[in-house]
Amino acid sequence: MSSKKRSGFRVVCRCEEVTEDEVRAVIRNGYHSLEEIKRILRTGMGHCGGRGCLKVIARLIEEETGIPIALQKFPSSRPPLKPIPLGQLGSYRNEQEER
Amino acid sequence: MSKKSADAIVIGGGIIGAATGYYLAKRGLKVFILERKFPCAGSTGRCIGGIRAQFTHDLTIRVMLKSIKMFQELHEELGTDVEWYAGGYLFLAFDEARKKSFEQAIEIQRRYGLKVDFISADDCGRIVPGLNREGLLGGAWCPTDGQANPFKVTYGYLEGVKRLNGQVFVNADVKKINLSGTRVVSVETANGDEFFSPIVLNAAGPWASEIGKLAGIEIPVKPDRHEALVTEAIERCLEPMLVDYRADGCYFVQHYGTGHFIGCYTPVPIVPGDSVDASDEFITEMPRRMVRLLPKLASVKVLRHWAGSYEMSPDGNPICGKTPVEGFYVSAGMSGHGFMFGPALGELMAELITTGESSIDLSEFRLDREWSKAEAMK
Ligand SMILES: Cc1cc2nc3c(=O)[nH]c(=O)nc-3n(C[C@H](O)[C@H](O)[C@H](O)COP(=O)(O)OP(=O)(O)OC[C@H]3O[C@@H](n4cnc5c(N)ncnc54)[C@H](O)[C@@H]3O)c2cc1C
Repeated sequence: MSSKKRSGFRVVCRCEEVTEDEVRAVIRNGYHSLEEIKRILRTGMGHCGGRGCLKVIARLIEEETGIPIALQKFPSSRPPLKPIPLGQLGSYRNEQEER
Repeated sequence: MSKKSADAIVIGGGIIGAATGYYLAKRGLKVFILERKFPCAGSTGRCIGGIRAQFTHDLTIRVMLKSIKMFQELHEELGTDVEWYAGGYLFLAFDEARKKSFEQAIEIQRRYGLKVDFISADDCGRIVPGLNREGLLGGAWCPTDGQANPFKVTYGYLEGVKRLNGQVFVNADVKKINLSGTRVVSVETANGDEFFSPIVLNAAGPWASEIGKLAGIEIPVKPDRHEALVTEAIERCLEPMLVDYRADGCYFVQHYGTGHFIGCYTPVPIVPGDSVDASDEFITEMPRRMVRLLPKLASVKVLRHWAGSYEMSPDGNPICGKTPVEGFYVSAGMSGHGFMFGPALGELMAELITTGESSIDLSEFRLDREWSKAEAMK
């Protein structure tokens, strides 16, 4: 059996390449909130801003601790919603000034 | 509702509370850290991780020389990689007055053995390939300054507290401090728990003045808003923290560990209060300033933008030491440099609390000082 097939190796956060095992270990170490896990493992701090991983991690927290997903606090989503180049954002300002 | 006792209670789970708690625990004290939300919920989780000894106040320079030494060894101390990297700090001078003030600062810094020089614009360009040198007169360059990851450092210290028989309480919102005469006795949280200890440290960062009031003590710390952004990770192309002090300047660095660019600026005029709302002004203005300094960043994408608080004391220097209430200490008002001060002030405050004095005399940072010696390299 290839070890990759074991569910624990499943990548739950693609942006930061965090596996299910890593998340479970952090929860078992006493960190029971999405905010704390984000700060330890960077889950939600990558390109997708947490759209891909936060729900999966919330379910892992529920499984490990019994805290229902509905009672968990989700980290605030940070602008911009999609990555935008510095040059584009900066030129917005330049255009405003020229007007 | 429970009642528990410890040898020392630390209010605040940011870098200052975590580091001081750790060094107190190392000295054999049973430490409780009480954090209103979760570790790094305050300024520490919003900071950009810069670490430097280039200051103008003698004591600050000495504290930072100690802190940098500690950062260099922190991975061994804590058993975890804190992403310390000595990429240096380059402060840019675009006018004669700034150049002169850097040269004066360098004179003070060298007295303490800091390796720092005023270098030419061309040399700045060699250290930062692609730097826009238009109008640049040169820069104050210190290669031993650097960066580390605030989350890794803070959680590393907290894990250390736990290993050393201490406890970290999250969702522990301190609402009351009980005194017996002029002595501190216990601390109560919003959910009704009471924690007893003869030693209580106020490490509540931007909220230190609120915690002070609970013990009847005035602590002159006022928050103002600072915003920051982070970009996608790209291949390494910037070594130092770049600091541009012009009114429309900014400072940013590339994370050694990950390759993200992270940066911020100080708004003119300042925005008082502890709001963490991110503004439209910043998310357009900051990219313009970054691209002006380093045009090659134009295509790099911004991932997130947020706000946090600087916690200003009246003179821009920390407030560390005892208070008129016996057993009640303060270490706050880091004025935007608390992350880098964390290790040194943590250890020095632990010495002060347990023995009555510290190996570097912190009395210039005491609460009842005259607020006159302002820091020029804020
Ligand atoms: C955008 C930005 C960039 C920065 N860049 C740098 C940098 O490059 N280098 C640097 O050294 N510094 C930097 N700083 C400054 C640095 O973040 C702060 O000085 C430092 O984090 C202060 O640490 P602290 O532990 O004192 O405060 P905090 O991290 O704010 O910790 C205080 C804690 O107390 C808790 N608390 C508050 N009230 C209560 C209560 N009633 N009960 C229990 N707990 C409570 C809070 O929730 C908080 O977690 C930056 C700050 C900002 C905003």
